[in-house]
Amino acid sequence: MNLQEIITAVWPRVRRKHLFPQLPTPRVGENASTAAVEMQHKQIVLNAAFCEQLAANMPLEEVVEASLDHGVAHYTRCPWDFATHLRLHAAAKEVLQDREMAQRATDAFIDVVADTFCVKEFETALPQLYKHLERGPLATAMAALYSRIWGIDLESAAPEGLIRRLSRISYLDRTQWEKSMRRFCRLIRPILEEEQQQEEGMSSAPLGQHGLGGHSQNEVEQGLREFARQAANPREFHETVADFAEELAGQGYTDAQEGMGRGKGQQLDTDLLYYMKLAESYHLPVRKAPLQRSSSLDLYAHAPWELGKPIQDVDVWTSFGKILPGLTQTWLRQHGEVVGRREGVPDCIIAIDSSGSMTNPRYLLSYAILGAGCVCEAYLRHGAQVAVYNFSDAPAGDSLSLDFTTDRKRIYQSLCRYFGGGTALALDEFDELRRRGRRSVPDVFLITDMAITNLEPLTAYLSQTEGRLTAVHIGETEAAVYFKKATAGWKNVSVFAVTRKEDIPRIILGQVKEYLRPGQRGV
Amino acid sequence: MVNPFREFHAIQGGRREIPLDRIIASKDLILDRLIVGYHKLIEEEVHNLVWLVDHGALPRAYAAAEKAIAEVNFTVEDVEDFCFTLEKADSFALALAGPSGLYLSAMCNRVEGTEISLRLKGLKSRVHLLGYRLPEGKRLIVEGSCGDFAGAAMEGGEIIVQGNTGNWTGVGLKRGKITVEGNAGERTGEWMEGGEVQVKGRIGSLGQVQGGKVYLGDLQVAPVRETT
Repeated sequence: MNLQEIITAVWPRVRRKHLFPQLPTPRVGENASTAAVEMQHKQIVLNAAFCEQLAANMPLEEVVEASLDHGVAHYTRCPWDFATHLRLHAAAKEVLQDREMAQRATDAFIDVVADTFCVKEFETALPQLYKHLERGPLATAMAALYSRIWGIDLESAAPEGLIRRLSRISYLDRTQWEKSMRRFCRLIRPILEEEQQQEEGMSSAPLGQHGLGGHSQNEVEQGLREFARQAANPREFHETVADFAEELAGQGYTDAQEGMGRGKGQQLDTDLLYYMKLAESYHLPVRKAPLQRSSSLDLYAHAPWELGKPIQDVDVWTSFGKILPGLTQTWLRQHGEVVGRREGVPDCIIAIDSSGSMTNPRYLLSYAILGAGCVCEAYLRHGAQVAVYNFSDAPAGDSLSLDFTTDRKRIYQSLCRYFGGGTALALDEFDELRRRGRRSVPDVFLITDMAITNLEPLTAYLSQTEGRLTAVHIGETEAAVYFKKATAGWKNVSVFAVTRKEDIPRIILGQVKEYLRPGQRGV
Repeated sequence: MVNPFREFHAIQGGRREIPLDRIIASKDLILDRLIVGYHKLIEEEVHNLVWLVDHGALPRAYAAAEKAIAEVNFTVEDVEDFCFTLEKADSFALALAGPSGLYLSAMCNRVEGTEISLRLKGLKSRVHLLGYRLPEGKRLIVEGSCGDFAGAAMEGGEIIVQGNTGNWTGVGLKRGKITVEGNAGERTGEWMEGGEVQVKGRIGSLGQVQGGKVYLGDLQVAPVRETT
């Protein structure tokens, strides 16, 4: 039997041991550079050379079964998902302060958990496999650890004190993994440093490294979102996620600017990614408003259906239930021009204060950017467009305007720009941007600490404008009190205070006291 | 009709005990008993420990700590794990700097093994009285900083502090060596009778050194050597 046939024969048994995980049948790696066991798009790939090499010491079938046990246990036990992988890596990085060492330590820890789980739960040839693997300094220590915690002699020796301490870690207790990881890293640090100083560099995990390859795009998205929620600040997120920058770039998470000319694109902007993923976790409600032009596409006429055209828009009533070219009719759609009571979500201008009194988003979580990001998500979700006016000392040139768009990346780039200067809003610039709205009157979302030098002219300007205004003030200041008092009687304004992250979901966009009608204004 | 879950019926609970289970269970049991002993010490002695100026309080509290751990058979690794418990402790009692130091000292003095590494880096408060009465032949390596009275009344052991120490470092030292890689606070070497204190950083002030030697780097600062 060749290797693929052995895999096919062994696979049902492996699946059964692991309680039938939804994974496709593994395959043999096509090129020699493939790791011993690798997960590619949920499919385990075994390296033929690796299997054949070990087959000199044990039956090939056992090599395959043990390798598959190892690969499946990563999927079913540890790391399980990308968020867990990131958390473990963050814990390792915290102790080791070095990317390469943290990655190696994370790989080693994940392997100990997955393999120990297999040895405890069912019959596996993993101990025999480890007995015959080639070993660097860390792999030698790990084999000695396995001998101790599995009770099977793997013929490996390491300092007794180290193994005694390593064997006291609760590898199988998922709730303790981060704490265990820190302890594990402190103990193996001297070995990692020794490996790093070797000429050939750090060894890789004997059965393959772990990275993004084992997770689907959706899982990576979800993992980043979860990790952004758990990270204490953007810096913590940055320090961990930047270690995966190359792999993330491979999945399309680059921040390269499209444009003409030559030159290397910018690296992944983890701060932007942090706020984007964090904002995706919140769902702010947007109240609908009467619109002259709806954002939705409405049915307006029939056209004959032709072969190759999609059938979703077929009008069954005028097609006599038949799908026949010439007879079948499809609906044509266009942007609805509606006047009167039709409701929809208008476009939105986000005015965000990035002056020195606001938090620098690179070091600490900026509620302003998170809030603005949530607003952006809410409007884009409804098919509306978003414009950004980012200001510090705008009359002195510290401002940035982004025209109405649905390009999330450009919106976040504009939101994450931090000027850190004084605070004044250039009303003419803002007014010009507001007038560029293509559909009806845009909503305005203002997020600031209200320490704006021209707050009174701004308030006067806003009192003259149509459209709904949602103002959010970060912290309670005298200026915020003034603004609340000044706008108390207006019908198109809602004011929210944000002092903690938890306040953000309480914002309701476009929550006005009553809908605006042409000619009707709040005082 | 085929039951899609039919195959699951054949799955037997294949779990078996591996040595890791026994190691973890034994570790948890000992740690629990050490924590119970510590709480007992707190209950009995906390009022006295607040008033350390009372001369009898310290030996009495130490005797209580020794009594609390007398029944527990622990190893050097258990002592180190107890430190990790302190690091993650949310309870007020576990974070008490004086009693926790005295309890750790009692554990270090009793445990079998010559070298003990304690990681105090992540602790919220500094541990006082660490290395109290450390006997000859024991070596205590502290990763992080200690509080006041480090190496108090030491009886021949060696302490290496890879951080700073508070005030009264080496107070009443009889024999042995204290090495502080960072700075030491006020009244360093107070009432020292013998032994050696070496501070590689700065010393806040020296106490009344009655015997032994205090070094600042390689320079002997107490007793001051007369130059010819």
